[in-house]
Amino acid sequence: MFSTVLVANRGEIACRVIRTLRRLGVRSVAVYSDADSGARHVVEADEAVRIDGYLNIAAIIGAARAAGAAAVHPGYGFLAENAAFARACADAGVVFVGPPPEAIEAMGDKIRAKQHVAAAGVPVVPGRDEAGLSDAELADAAREVGLPVLLKPSAGGGGKGMRLVGADDELAEAIAAARREASAAFGDDTLLVERFVANPRHIEVQVFADAHGNAVHLGERECSLQRRHQKIVEEAPSPLLSAEQRARMGASAVDAAQSVGYVGAGTVEYIVSADDPGSYFFMEMNTRLQVEHPVTEMAASVAGRTGIDIVELQLRVAAGGPLPFAQDDVGFAGHAIEARVYAEDPARGFVPTGGRVLALDEPVSAGVRVDSGLAVGTEVGSAYDPMLAKVVGYGADRAAALAALDGALASYGLLGVGTNVAFLRALLAHPGVAAGRLDTGLVERDLDALVAGAGGGVPDDVLAAAVLDERLGREPAGPVVDRWDVPDGWRIGGPAWRTLRVTPSGGEAVPVRVRGRASGAEVAIGDGEPVPASVRHTGGGLAVTYGDRTRRYLRARDGRVLWLGRDGHAWALTEAEPVDAGGGGAAAASGGVARSPMPGTVIAVKAAAGDTVTAGQPLAIIEAMKMEHTVTAPIDGVVTEITVRAGTTVALDATVAIVEPTGLPQGENAS
Amino acid sequence: MTWDAPVLRSTVDPSGEAAARNAEAHTALVAELRGHLATAARGGSDRARERHEARGKLLPRDRVDALLDPASPFLELSPLAAYGMYDDEAPAAGIITGVGRISGRECVVVANDATVKGGTYYPVTVKKHLRAQEVALHNGLPCVYLVDSGGAFLPRQDDVFPDREHFGRIFYNQATMSARGIPQIAAVLGSCTAGGAYVPAMSDEAVIVRNQGTIFLGGPPLVKAATGEVVTPEELGGGDVHSRVSGVTDHLADDDAHALRIVRDIVATLGPRPARPWEVAAAEKPAVDPAELYDAVPADSRTPYDVREVIARIVDGSRFAEFKAEYGATLVTGFARIEGHPVGIVANNGILFSESAMKGAHFVELCDQRSIPLVFLQNISGFMVGREYEAGGIAKHGAKMVTAVACARVPKFTVVIGGSFGAGNYSMCGRAYSPRFLWMWPNARISVMGGEQAASVLATVRRDQMEARGEGWPADAEEAFKAPIRKQYEEQGNPYYSTARLWDDGVIDPADTRTVLALGLSAAANAPLEPVRYGVFRM
Repeated sequence: MFSTVLVANRGEIACRVIRTLRRLGVRSVAVYSDADSGARHVVEADEAVRIDGYLNIAAIIGAARAAGAAAVHPGYGFLAENAAFARACADAGVVFVGPPPEAIEAMGDKIRAKQHVAAAGVPVVPGRDEAGLSDAELADAAREVGLPVLLKPSAGGGGKGMRLVGADDELAEAIAAARREASAAFGDDTLLVERFVANPRHIEVQVFADAHGNAVHLGERECSLQRRHQKIVEEAPSPLLSAEQRARMGASAVDAAQSVGYVGAGTVEYIVSADDPGSYFFMEMNTRLQVEHPVTEMAASVAGRTGIDIVELQLRVAAGGPLPFAQDDVGFAGHAIEARVYAEDPARGFVPTGGRVLALDEPVSAGVRVDSGLAVGTEVGSAYDPMLAKVVGYGADRAAALAALDGALASYGLLGVGTNVAFLRALLAHPGVAAGRLDTGLVERDLDALVAGAGGGVPDDVLAAAVLDERLGREPAGPVVDRWDVPDGWRIGGPAWRTLRVTPSGGEAVPVRVRGRASGAEVAIGDGEPVPASVRHTGGGLAVTYGDRTRRYLRARDGRVLWLGRDGHAWALTEAEPVDAGGGGAAAASGGVARSPMPGTVIAVKAAAGDTVTAGQPLAIIEAMKMEHTVTAPIDGVVTEITVRAGTTVALDATVAIVEPTGLPQGENAS
Repeated sequence: MTWDAPVLRSTVDPSGEAAARNAEAHTALVAELRGHLATAARGGSDRARERHEARGKLLPRDRVDALLDPASPFLELSPLAAYGMYDDEAPAAGIITGVGRISGRECVVVANDATVKGGTYYPVTVKKHLRAQEVALHNGLPCVYLVDSGGAFLPRQDDVFPDREHFGRIFYNQATMSARGIPQIAAVLGSCTAGGAYVPAMSDEAVIVRNQGTIFLGGPPLVKAATGEVVTPEELGGGDVHSRVSGVTDHLADDDAHALRIVRDIVATLGPRPARPWEVAAAEKPAVDPAELYDAVPADSRTPYDVREVIARIVDGSRFAEFKAEYGATLVTGFARIEGHPVGIVANNGILFSESAMKGAHFVELCDQRSIPLVFLQNISGFMVGREYEAGGIAKHGAKMVTAVACARVPKFTVVIGGSFGAGNYSMCGRAYSPRFLWMWPNARISVMGGEQAASVLATVRRDQMEARGEGWPADAEEAFKAPIRKQYEEQGNPYYSTARLWDDGVIDPADTRTVLALGLSAAANAPLEPVRYGVFRM
């Protein structure tokens, strides 16, 4: 085993690799960019080296040398599937914990990879793609691969010009139409044909090979719950497969790996029709550790016992060791399901959020695993992947695993950064998910209902908790308390009501009335009747009684923003006193503040102070997650302030510009 | 410092019949009080309030609430001023006054209610405004005026304008308080016409709301009449004119909320409150449940009871270090704490005799020497009368107590918890003795003597005259003579009659006694104490 290993990654996967290194007594070396200088992986490693970026091969090799690392674990993403990096490691005399560069290259090109594994007898989606097929040849090919089929323009992409043909007598007309379309769209009417896989499910097999010619599979993972090709929830084993199907797909995956001389951990991804679980088709092979490897670690067994550590296996194999078990030893014992916690806002089209982690309460309970790169104080920015953590539930069967995962998500508390946790819980509650009837279109198909199920509005008890927290914050400290300091709103005819306007991030303000002291108050939401309520501090948060229910909330305050979390939900709320509602700087009141829709970097400013603008006119362009977002004037008026310039980094909801409505005297500018 | 004076015990059986009867009576009285308060708090008519809000203005109580520190108390003064007066056209006398926290400082707030006759000043409005300024002066509290008033109520100009304690005194007070370093701050949230223009003009710092506040000595109609010039109110004295051109105001606000925010910022520049003249300890709840105050006190002030039952329910830990317990027992004196503030309590437990008066004078001097504020719990039908007592010099002994009470420079607080009659009122720090605050319980009565006594005295005088003329006076005629006198005294001795005329600072729920005293004590602690000096005590 190596004495020192450098982890060429960040976030949860770096932490996860370091955890195994620590357990094995191997010294760990982290690398970090400036943005990550205080990150958890940096703190947890034995040593950390600053680098210019996680893609900088020379810097990482230099760091490995400087720190005396004998091997580099690349994690996933960044340089994990970069053959040049693997070669550079070898050239530097550092072991790359992964497959040989040739295997990476062979699987790196998807078309070549397909042809390669097909030659080794691994099933691929049937079809024909030679150039210059005539109409008749296409029709024959279609009959040969079996209907329904997809006709695709050879020159196309992104689904444009694709045609689904279900019956033989539609073929001729469909081919003609597809050619016309392809010709018009791409100037090339070449078509190819392939089997249409209805209700596709994404099922992948974890394989492992050592340098001594041994190769096994560790069973499959199903990753059909995806949004825009991004996996959200993964599980092992797949609820679809029988033992016999598992064995066939597994053997096929081992064949695929061996066809490229694979060494180490890899994943062979298949597409399987929910309607025909017996047929599976190779899509690609990922030559690295997968994000979702924990479900295999939790559910796969060797000699009936779970607890495989894939990272440990990677290290042992990379160090030249043999696989410590054979295929016959491997099975499944129980079920594991993983959910990915992303810094994104489902209610706002899943735009990435960001911010500083103000409070963190990750679940610790039997049957639950959390792989996280978070710590209180972690800055989640737009520079890196928005996946924050993975929560895995394990149980004796799928229902138990689902319950464990849902319970874990319900107690996943993260404040300061908006996440998709509530959306994940809504997804787990979907009847298709509960029943194991999955397909890769499920999430997109039911997205609106899932987002709605994650709860757009703020529940009354949370609004009550917000105003009570405000009141609790006014409780005086110290033994000597002046009567004027007692926050009970005392009046000669009974305690005074006070109305706070509570505004959730990106939502509408709700007037909430409160009176009395935090320990015995009344709260009225909107026009509702007053409800008795009280609040007290608990360890990291609040216990709030609203009506006859008492709930606990994780709580953090960040300037004017109060974060409250419960049951996997988190709300960022601002409370305005009556006196805040007025004018004076306050285009705020008249809605004239243009805010950043997501954390990012300003790449252009389109207006200047003093400009007269109309509602909708662009004021600034913000780049985040490789997308450009235009910040527009919220109202007609005059720009009184631009608070950013090109290059400025902005947080979610940060003020970009202030527009004062026209028609009113303009302060100093009017004279 | 621990305060381990003896703990008072109650002898009231809360489950007894008397307790139930008392509680029922007090509950009804407090319900009546709350009803009156709620009515007065509405201010003007629904239509007037709607019109006010339609102009984008906050209602005056909302202005006060928004101005104050969130969730902090507000010690409103005389909320039932003008109750039963002016055909009830002026709820609260069209003005809200009180002591409240702004940016951490206790301030006096004076807010016109423009929904009540345009915020114009009735005679009682003037009195209430001046009383608020007096509270500010005595307690060293910054003044915040939220101005929205048409000035004097013209039909009653003779009772509003010319005299010493009339409209002009407002500005006199502003000038002299400013001279003493008591900040004067005004926010012009509406009209500020004629004499009213001096409220912002006499202030240290003034805010005006654009397109809403106006300040002018003569309004557009007067200008047109005088010079023929036609001008809009905004052109004549709006926010822009006064903030940009005339300099009458210092801050231009967009609306009420903005103006109030500016006022809060101004108060924040005043610095912290002055050091308290006495030490304040950690508070302790009364050991005897204050909620049982209703049970313990007979609603009829003629029924005797031990005033320690009241003291036990308003002081910290019910701890009371009694002074001269065995001497002059009809006056109870002793040291206690209220919400941590040291107090000397002077409470009636029967009529005053020479001994009780001398004891009272002695105790008041003690407190004054020790810088301990005084709390008077007034329930007094008067001094003992009769040949023996006059011969014993009860007049000069009473005078000693009156002298001590009048001259004591420590803050004095008076709560009329029962009767307030005759010279008892004087020696127990009635309104004329300038207690910092004076409150009445709803069961209290106040008059020069009881109605029955007054009727008897007047009937005796008349009978003597008639008999001197040789005329007879049948019993039914005497009763017919006495009945209206009793009725007049009952009406005029009522706490609502008193509070309408500002003989007090408000009728309070007895259960709030501890709270108002604590707020008043803390407010009073803003002013330094004068040196101790007394007039001649006749020996």
